[in-house]
Amino acid sequence: MQKKSQKKLDLTYSEEVIDIVQFGSSIMNGKTFNDIDVAVIFNKIPLKDQLEYSQEIKRQIEKYFDKPIHMQSYDLYSFFDKGNFAKESILFYGKSLITDEYFSQNFGLIPKIQLNYSLIKLEKKDKIKFNYTLNGRGGNYGLLRQYNGKLLNPGLIEIPPECEEVFLKTLKEITSDIKINKTFKMSQ
Amino acid sequence: MKELKEENQKESILEKTAREYYVSGNEELSKKRNNSAVVLFFKSLVALVDLYIYKKLKITPSSHNHRFSIVKEKFNDIYNLLDKDFPFYQDSYNILMSKELAEVIREDAEKIAKEIGLNL
Repeated sequence: MQKKSQKKLDLTYSEEVIDIVQFGSSIMNGKTFNDIDVAVIFNKIPLKDQLEYSQEIKRQIEKYFDKPIHMQSYDLYSFFDKGNFAKESILFYGKSLITDEYFSQNFGLIPKIQLNYSLIKLEKKDKIKFNYTLNGRGGNYGLLRQYNGKLLNPGLIEIPPECEEVFLKTLKEITSDIKINKTFKMSQ
Repeated sequence: MKELKEENQKESILEKTAREYYVSGNEELSKKRNNSAVVLFFKSLVALVDLYIYKKLKITPSSHNHRFSIVKEKFNDIYNLLDKDFPFYQDSYNILMSKELAEVIREDAEKIAKEIGLNL
């Protein structure tokens, strides 16, 4: 069975590794995916060594998944290079396979998605449906409880990044009046 | 006799392409065209892997998938090397490659060439 990670894996790796990060569609709830994207973030060591260490890690990760693993190797300089088009995705959505925390927590930042919505133009039945979808009904959990989201204010919810797809897909069936704000919070 | 001639012909084609890509890779690298150099060194590496496979098994892979499945089954060290470098070849059209990366792939090609006793 496909393991949809966001789990701590039992991996052996060099002390030059800062983090091993799963990112891309494989960590997104409600998204189909064909491969598992993994970024290994190293201290400043030669690229040749980075690639060899990454291969060793790849062999281990392959045992946990039944889909192809696509590895990328970076040190912090190459990670933040303007030519690295994957950095936003890794930084915002990436989760550590070492700690099961967000990669950005290495920098003291917790990523969050805030969804701002308005129900003003909806009919009453749709307002009720929206409310049930978020909060649940008759003993069934709503999206907020299921996916660890929370209501910040009326019309404003905050959800984990990996749940973006499932919230948007479900809520947009009721209203298209939803604005997305991607933010980082300080860990402390 | 005819078979021997065919074998020599296949080997000499693979040697020629491996050298040609390797030399062109060096030329591109000297012009700081790293992406082109990565692609060319990888192609040289692939020709050398095919030559390695041909020398050992007398078969030539028909595709990347076939090549990967042969080396995965029979030559694990070579599989690791190809598997490590292949993503850069795939990504070379939309990611800026570094000189260091081109040199790593060149070194891998040289490693296989040495393994089969070929002067690049």
